[in-house]
Amino acid sequence: MQKNILVADDDMDVVTFVSTVLEKSGYKVIGAKDGEEALNKIRANRPDLIILDILMPKQSGIKLYRELKTDESLKDIPVVILSAISKRTFLRSQEALTEFGGEPVPEPEVYIEKPVEPDDLAKTVSEVLSRKGG
Amino acid sequence: MKIKKLLFVTDFEQLWFDALQSLMDLRKVGLEHVIFLHVIEREKVAMHRGVGYLKDEETKLREIANIRFIDWAEGLFETGMECGAYILVGSPVPKVLSVANEEKADLIVIGAHKGTETIEILRRTSIPVLVHKYDIKKNERPFERPILVTDWSSPCERAIEYLIALKDILKNVVVVHVIAEKSIKGLNRTEIQKIEKENKKRLEEVCDTLSTEGISSEFHLYMGEVVEQIKNAISEHNISLVVAGTTGKGAWRARWLGSVSRKLVQDSQLPILLVPKAG
Repeated sequence: MQKNILVADDDMDVVTFVSTVLEKSGYKVIGAKDGEEALNKIRANRPDLIILDILMPKQSGIKLYRELKTDESLKDIPVVILSAISKRTFLRSQEALTEFGGEPVPEPEVYIEKPVEPDDLAKTVSEVLSRKGG
Repeated sequence: MKIKKLLFVTDFEQLWFDALQSLMDLRKVGLEHVIFLHVIEREKVAMHRGVGYLKDEETKLREIANIRFIDWAEGLFETGMECGAYILVGSPVPKVLSVANEEKADLIVIGAHKGTETIEILRRTSIPVLVHKYDIKKNERPFERPILVTDWSSPCERAIEYLIALKDILKNVVVVHVIAEKSIKGLNRTEIQKIEKENKKRLEEVCDTLSTEGISSEFHLYMGEVVEQIKNAISEHNISLVVAGTTGKGAWRARWLGSVSRKLVQDSQLPILLVPKAG
């Protein structure tokens, strides 16, 4: 059965690039241009994997990631972060939010700092989905 | 009235990250989310005779802005702040207004050097606008000693509510009213004194309201040419921020956004927080 992947990025060039790579590998891709739209589409479509940017309008990937990982019905969906924001910043921000009273959240399945090569992206997605039993 | 989300508009000429950091006291009163906006003016990349649309130039300008925003966002994210960014091509005023509305910003922060655009934004929004003048030596903590300039209009009432929302970061508020020269023209001394008395009473009432909220304040009455007297009040009372209401049609909008007040917005060394009538 065809796997659904949601790509959230405010840069439409990135959404197009990721969609092209993943569609060639046989996945169905749903695009979202900001964190709010992504969350709505995740709830509506329950994708098999999420590729998430961090610095986005309306709701950042940091907040969205936290919402996903603290939502019982969504927390098992694997998340690959694809962002120009460093992994170190991502982890520190999550620590800071936990210190402010939030729930601790696990690290993402994979963290890729932009840019990414098409083959590496396809391979990463395939590996994460295999690990999750896909 | 809380400032949860701030829209920080920069052209990378006047407002930099240090200017934004000077506003981080707002976190103590509820600021959670900062949106960065840079507008690449259309004429920088638009169709040019013989060369067409300058796509490479747009890519370069976007990347210059993007690299700054990523750097700034990393600084904020690491402290637990929420952050977003827009880099858009077009006319600055409509882009600022549309992003502010789309993001439901509680405060727009802009620079003052492009006077016409700043004034146009002020004319067309009901979101409070901070015209930020940042100088680390003069206004490292701009919210500590604001001057509230009141003309008793409803936006000034809103400005008072705004100050109350900021109470935890205020040290002292100076409340000022200027009796305009023209309003006393032809009046005798007793009539003028009566006006003075009425205005002092109203100033006292504002200070009482602030005091009830636990905010330290003092009032001062001035008379004369409005903008000149505001400038005098600023220099007399060690002020860190000017706060005023602006109405759509009334005298304040005309005064603040007219040619003399435009000069004040442009020339003042201090940040100016303008609170429009509720939308």
